[in-house]
Amino acid sequence: MAFFGPALVLLTIFLFIPMILTLIFSFTDFFALNPDITHFVGFENYSQLFHDEDFRQAFGNTVRFMLIIVPLQGLGALSLALLINKVTHCKKYFKVAFFVPVVMSLAVVSTLWIQIFSPEGILNSILGNFGIDPQPFINSASQALPSIAVMSSWQGMGYQMIIFLGGLQAINPALYEAAEMDHASGWKKFKDITLPELKPLCIFVFITITIGAFRMLVQPMIMTGGGPSHSTYTMVYDIYETGTVNWEIGLASTMSIVFAFFVMILTVIQTVVTKERGNKHADKKK
Amino acid sequence: MLTKRNKIANWILVVVLIALSLFFLFPVIWMLANSFKTDAQITADMNTAAAFIPPVLNGSFFDNYISILTNTSFLRYMLNTLFYAAVLIVLGIIVNGLAGYALAKIKFPFRERWLLVIMLLMIVPMETIITIHFLFVAKLGLLNTVIGYILPMIVNPFNIFLFRQVFISLPDDIYEAAQLDYCSPIKYFFTMVLPMSKSVVATVSVFTFLNVWNDYLWPSLVFTSSDLLTAQIGLNAITANDNTTMGQTLAVITLITIPVIIIYSFFSKQIVEGVVSTGSKEG
Repeated sequence: MAFFGPALVLLTIFLFIPMILTLIFSFTDFFALNPDITHFVGFENYSQLFHDEDFRQAFGNTVRFMLIIVPLQGLGALSLALLINKVTHCKKYFKVAFFVPVVMSLAVVSTLWIQIFSPEGILNSILGNFGIDPQPFINSASQALPSIAVMSSWQGMGYQMIIFLGGLQAINPALYEAAEMDHASGWKKFKDITLPELKPLCIFVFITITIGAFRMLVQPMIMTGGGPSHSTYTMVYDIYETGTVNWEIGLASTMSIVFAFFVMILTVIQTVVTKERGNKHADKKK
Repeated sequence: MLTKRNKIANWILVVVLIALSLFFLFPVIWMLANSFKTDAQITADMNTAAAFIPPVLNGSFFDNYISILTNTSFLRYMLNTLFYAAVLIVLGIIVNGLAGYALAKIKFPFRERWLLVIMLLMIVPMETIITIHFLFVAKLGLLNTVIGYILPMIVNPFNIFLFRQVFISLPDDIYEAAQLDYCSPIKYFFTMVLPMSKSVVATVSVFTFLNVWNDYLWPSLVFTSSDLLTAQIGLNAITANDNTTMGQTLAVITLITIPVIIIYSFFSKQIVEGVVSTGSKEG
C-alpha cells in the first residue's frame, strides 16, 4: 500500500474530489466570488443550458467543426497512407514530410496560420495566382470555422497517417498473393482486402478525431477569440469562460458534465472497437 | 511490358507525392524562409516565388532570432518549461511508476477494483475538472506559483496503466532473490524494476515532456503575468506585443518547435509505439 499511497492521495485530491464537486456544483448556482449565497437549484442549470444562446451555438459550432474535420482529416490520412504504402522511392521522406505539422504545438500552428490567413497573407497571394479573389478566412463569420477546421486537419493528419501505415503493414501479404492468383484487379483487392482489414482501425481513427474535435479550444482562443460573432465559440471555450473568467462555477460544472457525457460515450465506443481489434489480432495468431 | 508500365506509374506517383508534400508544407517552408527577413522584405516578397526562399546570408541574417533571444524573456520561458518538464518527469515516474508496480505485483485490498478505477479514470476528459483545479489552486493562493502549476499534473491514470502493463510481465523470481538479499521493496523498485523497464520509462518521459511543452490551457490559467510563463504562453505574450514584427513572430515559433523536433528524431520509435499501444496523444 505504501507504493500505491502517493498516487492515491493525488488521485483523490485532483481527480476524485474534483469529479464529485463538479457533479454537485452542477446542481447549484455556486458563484466563486460570492460563495455564501449558494443554493441547490436541482436541474435548473441543465434546463437553462438548453435555452442558453451561447451554449447552443457553441454546441452547434462543435458539431459543425466535427462534420468538416472528421472526413477531411480521416480520409486525408487514409489516402496519404495508401499512396505512401504503394510508393517505392522516397518513402521515408514522405512519412516525415506529412508528419511535420504534428510536431508543432496548437499554439504555434495557430500563430503561424494567423499570418497565412491574413488578408494580404501568403494564402491569398497563392490563390490570387489562380485568379481567386482575396478571401477573409478567419475574419468572417461564415469562413472562420471552416478555415480553422482545414488548419486543424492539416496539423493532425500526419499522425493518423502513421497509424494507418502501421495498419496497412499488418495486413497479411498472403491475402494479396491469393487475390493475384485469381487475377483480381487493383480496385477489387482494395475493396475486398484492404478496406475490410482496415475497417476497425478506420472506426478507431475516426472516433479519435471526433473526440479531438469535441475538445477544440486553443485554435479559436488564439486566432479569433471565439468570434466573429461567436462563429468559432466551442463547448470547452464556454466552460473556460463561464468557470474561470466569470467564476460561475455552478453553470460551468453543468456544461462540464454535458461535455463529459458526450466525450465519455465516444471513448467507450472507441475502447470497445479497439478491444475487438485486439481480439481479432489475437485470434489470427492462434 | 507490364512491369515497365508499373515502373512509369510508380514514378508518376513519386512526382505527384513530392508535389503534394511541397504544397502540404508550404506554411512551414514560408515560416522558415521568412523568419530570416525584415517585415518590409516579407511584404515585398509576398506575391513572388521569393516568399518561399530565405534571403541571402549576410550580417543581418539572424537578426530576428537574436532580438527574440536578447530583447524578450523567451529564452527564460523555454528554460522554465524545460525545468517544469524535468520535475514532472521525475515525480511522474516515481508516483505513477510505484502505483503501476503496486497494481502489477503487490497484493493489497481491492487491487483489481483499483485497476478498474484507474481504467475508468482514463476516459474522463481533463477539461471537465480543470475549472475545479483552477478553483483549488486559486483558493490555496497558489496561482502564479510553480507548485500550483505542477501539483495537479503529477498523477496520470494513463501512465499508471502503461507502467502496470509492463511491470506485470516482469519475472517474480528476481523479486524473491532480492528479498533473500534483504533488499527493501522501495530499493528494489529503484535499483531493479525501473532499470529493467527502460523502454516504458522512456515512453512515459517523452510523452510527459511533449505534454508539458505543448500544453496551453492549464499554464495559461495558473500563470498570468510573471517570470514563470511556459514557452507556449510566453509565445502569446510576445506576439501580443505591438513591437513584435512578423519576422520575429516566425522566429519565435521556429525556436519553440526545435526542442520538439529533437525529441521526435531521437525517440520516434517510443512515440510510435506509444501511439499504437495507447492510441491517444491528447490534444
